[in-house]
Amino acid sequence: MQRPETILSVKALKMRFGGLLALSDVSFSVAEGEIYGVIGPNGAGKTTLFSCLVGALPPTSGSIRFRGREIAGLPNYAVVARGLVRTHQIVRPFRDMTVEENVSIGAHFGAGRRRGADARRRVADILERTGLGARAGSLAMALPIGDLKRLEIARALATEPAVLCLDEVMGGLNPSEIVAAMSLIRALRDSGLTVLMIEHHVHAVAGVTDRMLVLNFGEMIAEGAPRDVLRDPEVVAAYLGGDAGAA
Amino acid sequence: MKAFSRLAGAALGVFALAAPLFLERGTLNDVWSLALAVILASAWNLLGGFAGQVSLGYSAFLGIGAYATVLLSLRGMNPFLTLPLGAALAAAFSILIGLPAFRLRGPYFTIATIGVGEVVRVCASSVSFTGGSSGLRMPPGSFDFTLNYLSMVALAIAVVTLAAFVKRSAFGQALAAIKQDIDAAEALGIDSTRFKLAAHALSAAVVAVAGGLYAINFQYIAPGSVFDFRLSLSIVLMPIVGGVGTIAGPVLGALVFSTLQLKILSIPALRDSYLFLYGTLLIVVMLFEPKGILGLVRRVFNRRLRRFYAEA
Repeated sequence: MQRPETILSVKALKMRFGGLLALSDVSFSVAEGEIYGVIGPNGAGKTTLFSCLVGALPPTSGSIRFRGREIAGLPNYAVVARGLVRTHQIVRPFRDMTVEENVSIGAHFGAGRRRGADARRRVADILERTGLGARAGSLAMALPIGDLKRLEIARALATEPAVLCLDEVMGGLNPSEIVAAMSLIRALRDSGLTVLMIEHHVHAVAGVTDRMLVLNFGEMIAEGAPRDVLRDPEVVAAYLGGDAGAA
Repeated sequence: MKAFSRLAGAALGVFALAAPLFLERGTLNDVWSLALAVILASAWNLLGGFAGQVSLGYSAFLGIGAYATVLLSLRGMNPFLTLPLGAALAAAFSILIGLPAFRLRGPYFTIATIGVGEVVRVCASSVSFTGGSSGLRMPPGSFDFTLNYLSMVALAIAVVTLAAFVKRSAFGQALAAIKQDIDAAEALGIDSTRFKLAAHALSAAVVAVAGGLYAINFQYIAPGSVFDFRLSLSIVLMPIVGGVGTIAGPVLGALVFSTLQLKILSIPALRDSYLFLYGTLLIVVMLFEPKGILGLVRRVFNRRLRRFYAEA
């Protein structure tokens, strides 16, 4: 296999909220076609990192290069148009819209900007791939949490990203749903997508990612292959509370 | 239900267009006022209803349209040809206002727009070329009530059709997404500011044309009439009472309001209690049926339908 190209590279990223340094000096890069995990205890800055990547929060300083272009400071919609999109940990569906309408917004206004029959085909295809086909006509507010998580992924996919950032899409799912989610993520990668994922389920994330990054209090404490990272004593101490078997 | 309201709307439109053939002038005047109310309510609904951006500054656009028409007519232009200029002016002004105001969210945006309406009114009454607080009269010339009447009714029909078209378009979908969750909308690629500005400009242009037609028919305008805060208030209350964010809602709200205005407020004892009446109406709607009269009708209709099927 050829050496894959770097698609996303973050250098010295810093995010400060008043007196709180939510991210300090975070640097990493992700190769095209990789599944890259971000883990860390509550409040480590994982979601803040995603918010900075997509432009929902303007970082205090640092550089974010995506496909060779600087995107730090661009507004969220402009980053989506370039092909970098995230899902929300706390799902944010348009509740008064059907599942199909929710997904079609991604198809209409994301990087693909499809219209009419073209958009409808794309939406139907994504609903099928994410297992929401039977729910297409349901109002989003009527969906159970598992389907809402799927809807978050489906909407993000509809924007036709090159890099998909998944924020805890497995939280609240039962074991069989987690297995399904993991195979969906692998299938997405196999279709050419690069995936960044925040996950609380250490085993889920270790089983699916190529490399992972560990954050603690806004600082990077480890990065590398899941097997090595999870053996790192600092990670064990910070994230697993000194008991590696508990998670 | 949808087919029914479409049919009822078309019938109402045809009736209003044919009305000069069989209705007397006084009644036609009332229908003209109703058409104006429908235009204002439906145009406001494009931004306030579809995108959820509640503006209390819409009298500014009505006034800009009215003044543009009178001032340009006084310089010899055909009054009807001034309408697109007033519309363009109001749209430009709406963007100027929107750029800073749309940085604010929810009630903060609403409060900012109150300021805008008032500032425009004060300016219009203190500069000289607008005739100050004593207002302006249209140049003497041909006055054709039937033409004025038909223009207003045609504009009302056009605006309601436009609203239906917008609601079904991708543009309308973006506005709906902005209304429900502006951050989620941006996260899916929607440039919310651009869409809000576009909806604001579109509705401002429509309201300005209505303002021009108002001036053409009334022949006299003053800051106290076209820039009145009560007018801005009525523009908001009509769609809310009728059913915000829908097509038929603003039309129903305009019907209710025009009737109230004509029948109840013409009773001298009640003339000064309009704010009390508006306020009461607003509280009743908010408490019991936030989706307005249309929501109530739908609820009753659905219950009937369910009972019908249960018995069948």
